[in-house]
Amino acid sequence: MTESEKKIKVTRKTRPKIGVYVCHCGINIAGVVDVYALKDYALSLPDVVLAREYKFMCSDNGQNIIKEDIEAGLINRVIVAACSPRMHEPTFRLVCKEAGLNQFLFEQANIREHATWVNMNDSEGAYKISQDHIRMAVAKARMLLPLEVQKVSVEPSCLIIGAGIAGMNSAIDLAKEGYKVYLVERTPTIGGHMAQLDKTFPTMDCSACIITPRMVDVAREKNIELLTYSEVVDVAGYVGNFEVTIMKKPHYVDQEACTGCGTCVESCPVSVGNEFELGLAPRKAIYIPFPQAVPGEYTIDMENCIQCGICARPDVCEPDAIRYDDKPEYLKVKVGTIIIATGWDPYDPTPLKQYGYGRYPNVITAFQMERLLSSYGPVLGKPVRPSDLKAPHSIAFLQCVGSRNFREGGNKYCSRVCCMYATKQARQYKEKHPESDVYIFYMDIRAFGRGYEEFYESAAENYGINYIRGRIAEVWEDKDHNIVIRAEDTLMQTPIELTVDLFVLSIGLEAMADADKISSLLSVQRSEDGFFMEAHPKLRPVDTLTDGIFIAGVAQGPKDIPDTVAQAKGAASSASVLMAQGEVEIEPYYSVVLDHLCSGCRTCQSLCPFGAIDFDEFKKIAVVNSALCKGCGTCVSACPSGAMVQNHFTDIQLNSIINFAVKQPPIENGGK
Amino acid sequence: MSEQKNWRYAFFLGCVIPNRYPMIERSIRDVFEELGAELLDMPGASCCPAPGVFRGFHIPTWLVIAARNIAIAEELGVSLVTGCNGCYGTLRDAWWDLEHNSEEKKNVNKLLAKIGKEYKGNFEPKHVIQALYLDMGKEYIRGFIKHKFKDLKVAVHYGCHIVKPSDKRPWDGEYENPTFLDEIVELTGATSIEYKEKFMCCGAGGAVRTAVKEVAADFTREKLVNMREAGADIIINCCPFCHLQLDLGQLEVNNFYKDIIGEPFHIPVIYITQLLGVAMGMDPSRLGLIKHHDLKGVSPFISIQPFLDMVKEQLI
Amino acid sequence: MSDNIEKYIKRKVYKGTTSKIAQKFVDAGLEKLRACINCGTCTGSCPSGRRTAYRTRSALRRALTGDESVLSDIDIWLCSTCYYCYERCPRDIPVTDMIIKLRNIAVEEGYILDSHFDLASSIFYETGHGVPANGENNKKWRDLRESYGLPPLPPTVHSYPEAVKECQTLMKEVGFRALLDNAKKLKDKRKIAEEKEENQKEGK
Repeated sequence: MTESEKKIKVTRKTRPKIGVYVCHCGINIAGVVDVYALKDYALSLPDVVLAREYKFMCSDNGQNIIKEDIEAGLINRVIVAACSPRMHEPTFRLVCKEAGLNQFLFEQANIREHATWVNMNDSEGAYKISQDHIRMAVAKARMLLPLEVQKVSVEPSCLIIGAGIAGMNSAIDLAKEGYKVYLVERTPTIGGHMAQLDKTFPTMDCSACIITPRMVDVAREKNIELLTYSEVVDVAGYVGNFEVTIMKKPHYVDQEACTGCGTCVESCPVSVGNEFELGLAPRKAIYIPFPQAVPGEYTIDMENCIQCGICARPDVCEPDAIRYDDKPEYLKVKVGTIIIATGWDPYDPTPLKQYGYGRYPNVITAFQMERLLSSYGPVLGKPVRPSDLKAPHSIAFLQCVGSRNFREGGNKYCSRVCCMYATKQARQYKEKHPESDVYIFYMDIRAFGRGYEEFYESAAENYGINYIRGRIAEVWEDKDHNIVIRAEDTLMQTPIELTVDLFVLSIGLEAMADADKISSLLSVQRSEDGFFMEAHPKLRPVDTLTDGIFIAGVAQGPKDIPDTVAQAKGAASSASVLMAQGEVEIEPYYSVVLDHLCSGCRTCQSLCPFGAIDFDEFKKIAVVNSALCKGCGTCVSACPSGAMVQNHFTDIQLNSIINFAVKQPPIENGGK
Repeated sequence: MSEQKNWRYAFFLGCVIPNRYPMIERSIRDVFEELGAELLDMPGASCCPAPGVFRGFHIPTWLVIAARNIAIAEELGVSLVTGCNGCYGTLRDAWWDLEHNSEEKKNVNKLLAKIGKEYKGNFEPKHVIQALYLDMGKEYIRGFIKHKFKDLKVAVHYGCHIVKPSDKRPWDGEYENPTFLDEIVELTGATSIEYKEKFMCCGAGGAVRTAVKEVAADFTREKLVNMREAGADIIINCCPFCHLQLDLGQLEVNNFYKDIIGEPFHIPVIYITQLLGVAMGMDPSRLGLIKHHDLKGVSPFISIQPFLDMVKEQLI
Repeated sequence: MSDNIEKYIKRKVYKGTTSKIAQKFVDAGLEKLRACINCGTCTGSCPSGRRTAYRTRSALRRALTGDESVLSDIDIWLCSTCYYCYERCPRDIPVTDMIIKLRNIAVEEGYILDSHFDLASSIFYETGHGVPANGENNKKWRDLRESYGLPPLPPTVHSYPEAVKECQTLMKEVGFRALLDNAKKLKDKRKIAEEKEENQKEGK
């Protein structure tokens, strides 16, 4: 559809000529109410000059009907009575625009979601509600005035929070497209949780082998500014123009001077639990997270450092790289888009006392098992059990620990990866110890991805892994710290009691413990399950409801590596669409100050949740930053002088709607 | 020791305590008196009614009879306290259900009106252990301890209904590994020993004992085997039905399962207030520990003489 | 020939009929029964199940699928209501309450053990106690009470006959008496039918 040359001029004085289009929406609306009667009803309302009905107003034909009426000069206001404006408001607005009518002279009456869909068995009731909605739309349409969208430019740069496999992939794609990327990671190294994995299913690729090339790519990419051991502490602004403050945490080691010799680590007297090794091994207060860390930087963990001064001695640190007086640095950057790729935390099974985690030494999580299996882990890939450091002859895995749990403190969702990672770990152990007995206790085996079912079949047929359908009820340990398991083999309808050397809990994935910090920093919502909420679960999986901010990876919900990478690339693509366009339209719902009425009390400024109101010291009146304003209406209702007007939702428009809603207007034209 | 009565409760007796193990009633009455708590009698209280049997037969009957019992305590203006897990389970669960379902509460009161009673729900039903541990507190009770055991190994048996359903109990949802009863036991200087399946059911409840005695006895057999293996000197409990099952049931186990248990069992079964009372320096006669009769075929069925000997050796 | 038929031919096929039992659960607000995914945590936790033929999960599965034989199964009376299943069910189903409801339905259909029936109809209904101390047979228990310095009868229904009447009134009004009478009728009918069948078999 090409845009019309002729632009229809509409002012406050122009008489409204409203066209009402009632959509059948197939049987969604027409199957419940009489759309023809609604059309006639619409025609009887003030200032309505024509009314039509059509099967699918959103179709090309439907849209054409409106376009033709506008171009013929018959109407200067358009109402479509159909679905929710969240579905097709943009569609019909575009039609108006292309026909030469200002797109904000359009109003949509929702007679589907708000009338027929919720009253499917009450035709009469649905009809009355539909009438109400059409009447209210007419009331507003009569008072609508033309508005212009704002165009703001979009900075060609992106902030990516989190440098795991998702963040890194988004960063590389965007950087290659030519955009500047700030990749912020709060631990000292990139790689995320994937660096802690040994092998990946179903290919049994070594995780470090497939991720380290990506890590090196990230380090090499000129367009990526890598900010490890850093955190985002403030975000202001709006889509295309985010002002971000990043805190670079002090390493207490001069990275320029440091040669990476590692002598400091050997000499450090302080040992603490190693987070990377999930508590299975120690690290010193001065440390590098793991050998292949990128960047290969040493850091002092000041919380545990006793400042003994040994590492700073010239015979220990020859290049003299230790800096106890290091301070955090703050960096302010301006970016056009943001991608949240903050990943996940493992579920902590300590509260599930029936499984003995934290009480019996030979109960570990699968994540810890992963480190035991890892060739650069604490036991160099030869798993042993904690109580006697001997290789277990028998291992039992329990699936769905912390997941699919509707109890208080449990997560209702399925964590998606555990069936496969348990099968993988079981297979790895069987490869190392073919004579061992490995059991997987499950409720369901979810092997949904490519190659997954085949992997599962092979685990049982070729590797002899025992799959027992029954969720373990309780365990305890015997005199030798073996774990005695009680469950029901539901397929045999028999209770079983099984003794194993090692018990592995297949824990689920959870949203990061401090996800709420990111949530409030960026004003993005989280779903009930704690993960960041996508704009639409089916159609907008990488967008958030905040323009310009995207999500990728497990931050949006549990998923495996293929899906994570796909989503990361999707988020990069969505971000680059915005940045490639170079500018973005912002809806003109902002509020406007009526200068002559403003008394300068600043109530509005103190209440604005988006910091969109400034104060003009000379004129002593409030000023709205229209790009920051999200049109929430708080200032309008708070202003004691009535000096705030909100575009597209003025008092006059709203009062008109209310009046028409509660009383029937006179049928003849001209009623006001 | 305070002269004032700091706490007042309506004493709900139930059936097993007054009618089969009156020594438990004796010990509760006297220990509470010593601790400064007043126990009021509940005239006309009936069977709670027992949760396993009567709730299993007809939930509405169970609910209305329980509500009647609670109403008797309400008329006295205090919370009721019971020494039985089963009664606690019934009265507390009934109170909880009625407080969370106004329809049910209305219907129950319609029935109670026919006998001139009303259930209001303004006092929570409590257990003797709840009164000791949460109302009075360990520190308060510690002040009454006069003598401490030097070497008494106690197999503590909680039973089931004192901790479950955990959402309707006052223990912050803890049911896998509670410690409150162990803590009270250890106030007396005794050691609460670890034993396999410490929190397993005794087998009496849920209508099992009245359905098939041998099944209940097999639960008990398993518990006794574990207690013996861990070296228990005595068993401590806070429920008369568990007490009965571990005491009379011990005889039944020795009979039914003589072929698989080896030596017959003879572990004394003691109620918590009896143990607490001796540590508080009270005369064992006030605690139902001394026989003042020569009746045959009455409780206790397993001799508690070994315990009385230890009391003599270690405390006095 | 006919021996083999009896031995080997078992025409037990699940016809997938709608479960009347499940509907009773739904009507009583216990539709959580339908959320069961058969994970087996309940049976795995059950102290009875590992020494008897009682299977918590199967009992509820039979209720859900309408296998009415679960109502006459003695196994549902071997649950000691320890509540572990209730505490551990991942679908947050109040499992023990479900078993209790199943027992209620069984009693409605007249499936109640003789020992339980006597306990309810004779002992509880007549005395107000489940374990009484009145009557000739219980003299030793009254003597035992006195030996501990307690009154021979406790201040319960045993000392207040009008309280016993109150309980009986309630039990009548709430339908307990009628339930028990009906159960007795059904039990007697079944007993007669069984005896007839036995006689016929022996006659053969």
